Amino acid sequence: MSIEQTVPRAAGKAVPLFSLGRVWTIATSTVTQLVRMKTFYFLLAFALVVVAVGNFNIPATPVKELSMIKKVSFGTMDLFAWLFAIVATALLIPRDIEDRTLYTILSKPVRRIEYLFGKLTGVLVVVGTSLVAMYAICAIMIFARESLYLTAEHDAMTASGQYTGAEIQEQLDLIRQQGLRAELGIAVLASFFKASVVAAVTIFISTFASSSLFTIIVSILLFLIGHAHNMAANFWLDESGNSIFVQMLVKVIKILIPNYQLFSFSEGIVQGEAVVSALVWQMGGLTAGYLVVFLLLSLLVFVDKEF
Amino acid sequence: MSEKAVEVKNLTKIFSLGLKKEYVVAIDNLSFEVNAGEVYGLIGPNGSGKSTTMKVVLGLMAASKGSAKVFGLDSGDIRARNEIGFLPENPYFYKHLSGAETLRFYGKLCGMKGSNLKDRIAELLKLVDLEGAADRRLAGYSKGMLQRIGLAQSLIQNPRLVILDEPTAGVDPIGSRQIRDLIMKLRDDGYTVFLCSHLLEQVQEVCDRVGILFKGRMRREGTLDELIEIENQTTMTIENASPELIAEIHALIGTKEGARLVEERHPRTSLEHLFIQIAERSREEKP
Repeated sequence: MSIEQTVPRAAGKAVPLFSLGRVWTIATSTVTQLVRMKTFYFLLAFALVVVAVGNFNIPATPVKELSMIKKVSFGTMDLFAWLFAIVATALLIPRDIEDRTLYTILSKPVRRIEYLFGKLTGVLVVVGTSLVAMYAICAIMIFARESLYLTAEHDAMTASGQYTGAEIQEQLDLIRQQGLRAELGIAVLASFFKASVVAAVTIFISTFASSSLFTIIVSILLFLIGHAHNMAANFWLDESGNSIFVQMLVKVIKILIPNYQLFSFSEGIVQGEAVVSALVWQMGGLTAGYLVVFLLLSLLVFVDKEF
Repeated sequence: MSEKAVEVKNLTKIFSLGLKKEYVVAIDNLSFEVNAGEVYGLIGPNGSGKSTTMKVVLGLMAASKGSAKVFGLDSGDIRARNEIGFLPENPYFYKHLSGAETLRFYGKLCGMKGSNLKDRIAELLKLVDLEGAADRRLAGYSKGMLQRIGLAQSLIQNPRLVILDEPTAGVDPIGSRQIRDLIMKLRDDGYTVFLCSHLLEQVQEVCDRVGILFKGRMRREGTLDELIEIENQTTMTIENASPELIAEIHALIGTKEGARLVEERHPRTSLEHLFIQIAERSREEKP
């Protein structure tokens, strides 16, 4: 049997500057890898937390109880999203380098930016899917509790005979305000934006890190520092007693490390505050900007890296 | 003049050791060429610079000085990767993928798709005798199977040059024989094979030309015959020779001035050959 029957020689074939096909191939392979590493098992832990919180009997009003369920569930969802983004991303590139799988990938006509972009896309697909699944679990729990409270409150107020129809309706609206609303989807989107930036920063660190553990630790540290932007600015930049060196250092850190506090607008949404669509677009733009910057920084390190 | 598959000219690769300003010269002014259609073996002990040379040719490393070209293209040029199929020493593949998925992944990276890719995968799985294990994950493959799926992966886009790094390292004699047979088949089908190994017997068996690398420098290079021939000696192997015929040959040699019988013995098979014969016979035996 001859070896080259079905495929013509690839000799001299042009290689496009950038191929979305190759990016998608690497992204889908990354998704498969993460799925087969059984990373989705963390969803079970999340479901347990949500079910436990949902069934916790707190001596409070239905409004406060719903608010608490949402706060804990969405807080846990946010925590799982950024932590998963860090751990999953940190496992990918250092492991490819350690296992030398990267040799066989880069010995094919694959540009290094396509590899990095593919890996990031794969992580974002998994994070996005996880968030949707977590949101579905939350939504079911919130809806179930909301329906329960609405029925119980309606029955109790009607039975007491002390309230008018308008008063009952007002109370039910208050409960609905803390129940399942479309705006909660934006809170999920905010968590996705934050996890995306975290993943991009982690990809950047993993291009020069020596191991997955180092990548995870540094990424978590940067995440924590990213939450202290305003505090650091107030403390070091506004204090006249600080030297110029300290002030410059803080300014550099402010530029280099993303300000994760900006993504905290989701907390207000969870608490029932109205959301301005312009803010969502602004945060989307900011996220895209961070992704581009950190991908370019990663490429800068990775493009001439020798294996 | 035959087309050059690989042209390495005055290649030097220097590694710096951390921040100590100390340097190691891994390859020192190395030059050689691999002609299209031949099997070229680069041999040398561990640390001689074989893998570094290979990485420069693959574009995974940049040369400190000099150049490396693949079919006229600079090895750093991404188009050169279309011409190259690479089988690493250890099977560096995703263990979570099956054999067929691995080939599909690498095929897609080379821009292949649809029935073209599907047919190619089927063809290569048949070639490396892994049709039965196509859907099994690589985590369950033996070393020999991994090397064979690696060879299939290297051929997925039908490159003109196949680079093999220690292709039979750690593989048992039967698996090793299968890989050698595949290398011979590659040559017969017009592929250029660039092989790095320190297993001399293997290189001697499959290579047309050989370069001997030591401490980053090319020490000897040429066809196998040129390198290992003892010009003033001749070996004859005679079957069913009677004692009388042997005596006549001895007498004849004695009459010729300068001629001298250096050695006389019965040829022996190699242990490897004997092992394979026994294994094949055992396989044919009815249980």
